[in-house]
Amino acid sequence: MATVSGASVKNIVVACEAGMGSSVMVAKQLAKQLKAQGVAVTHSPVNQLAETPHDLVLCHRGLGSRAKQAVPGSVVIMFDMFLGDLRIAEVVARIQSGDDISDD
Amino acid sequence: MANFIPTGDGGHSGWRASVQKVGGNLAGMVIPNIGAFIAWGLLTALFIPTGWLPNEQLSEMVGPMIINLLPILIGYTGGRLVHGQRGAVIGSIATVGVIVGTSIPMFLGAMLIGPLAAWILKKIDAVLDPVTPTGFEMLIGNFSLGISGMLMAILGYLGIGPAVNAVSDVLGNGVKVLVDTGFLPLASILIEPAKILFLNNAINFGVLAPIGAVEAEETGKSIMFMLESNPGPGLGLLVAFWLAGPKILRGSAPGAIVIHFLGGIHEIYFPYVLLKPIVVLAAIAGGATGVATFAATGVGLVATPSPGSIFAYMTMTPPGNHFGVLLGIALSAAVSFVVAFFILKATRSGEDAADLDAAKAKSAEMKSGTAN
Repeated sequence: MATVSGASVKNIVVACEAGMGSSVMVAKQLAKQLKAQGVAVTHSPVNQLAETPHDLVLCHRGLGSRAKQAVPGSVVIMFDMFLGDLRIAEVVARIQSGDDISDD
Repeated sequence: MANFIPTGDGGHSGWRASVQKVGGNLAGMVIPNIGAFIAWGLLTALFIPTGWLPNEQLSEMVGPMIINLLPILIGYTGGRLVHGQRGAVIGSIATVGVIVGTSIPMFLGAMLIGPLAAWILKKIDAVLDPVTPTGFEMLIGNFSLGISGMLMAILGYLGIGPAVNAVSDVLGNGVKVLVDTGFLPLASILIEPAKILFLNNAINFGVLAPIGAVEAEETGKSIMFMLESNPGPGLGLLVAFWLAGPKILRGSAPGAIVIHFLGGIHEIYFPYVLLKPIVVLAAIAGGATGVATFAATGVGLVATPSPGSIFAYMTMTPPGNHFGVLLGIALSAAVSFVVAFFILKATRSGEDAADLDAAKAKSAEMKSGTAN
């Protein structure tokens, strides 16, 4: 289990299988929500997470174990829905309030 | 959240992660090059003798693109994934050996030899780098790549090309038997559950697209491109979840329908099925219906539609195939909708309330800041 302070998150990467489909969609949504906090949101294939700079990783639960393998030291938040996910909403709220964020 | 999600636990690594990883690597070689596939697909659909605007001169580009360009791009990307730019270069060189060694589009061969050549170069570099004297880096770097590239191309020409050719023949014949005997729809029994486990790209780009490309090169179209990418079953599922699903899922379903069917991001419906795994039966029924319809009407696509959106489907449909393609998509959506609708209705008893409670508890937890 890894933890990061919401206030220090400046760089989020959303991972999916190819890094071109669903991760781009989630990243676009997040970028809009976190614009005011100056957080950069990028996307990446899950296999290339290690080469992508980040403070926080988001990916679907189905790819979670591979994301953890790729970046064992990072905070990896696994979500379940691509639209209206509660975990993602929680991450956004914690970044806005500066609270700590830890993964499962 | 764990009790809320019956499957898809990401907390441990198992066979699924391994299969995903291999498949992810295969897909990772193809997906960045989809633009080239689309260019080739459009050229084919437009200018071959049975196309929309038959043109002898322009159709001359079709062959070199699928025989040379696409496999080299795959070998290039595969090499790059393993060993950066140097890996990409040697992957491309080696792929040429595989291409020339055979007469069919060598996607599988490129997927093998591109990363293999890059991996070997990586090992060679690891030996040579520490002993290279100052000032000789460029000389040694260029010649180690050139010499090992030449050897890999020869290996590809003599060994891997013919071997993959034989494998492709077996696969192609196997598929032909399935099509001829009418068993092809059974493929949905494997494909639809595997999709939900995020093996969609592995299946489509790692397995089906290479087989389809061989067929498309010979006949101008292939049904292989449609087995995984049909947006119909997902559409039916999402509509069923919208009308009869657990209440917390209904709100997001219309948005998901647009993203899935028009945008072609199939991943968006997987979570709905993971929440109600039994619904995968609806996806299987819908998928099999679609495949049966495509096979019965004898339609195919000229290239793999990516993403699997209705627009990509219409663009990649050759002249005269639109009716069968649309019918297959419509029937698969209808069947998966009906099956999913009844499953959702039948398994509903009281679960709605439970789901809602869980969701409420979850959001309460989050507000109080105790969730982790």
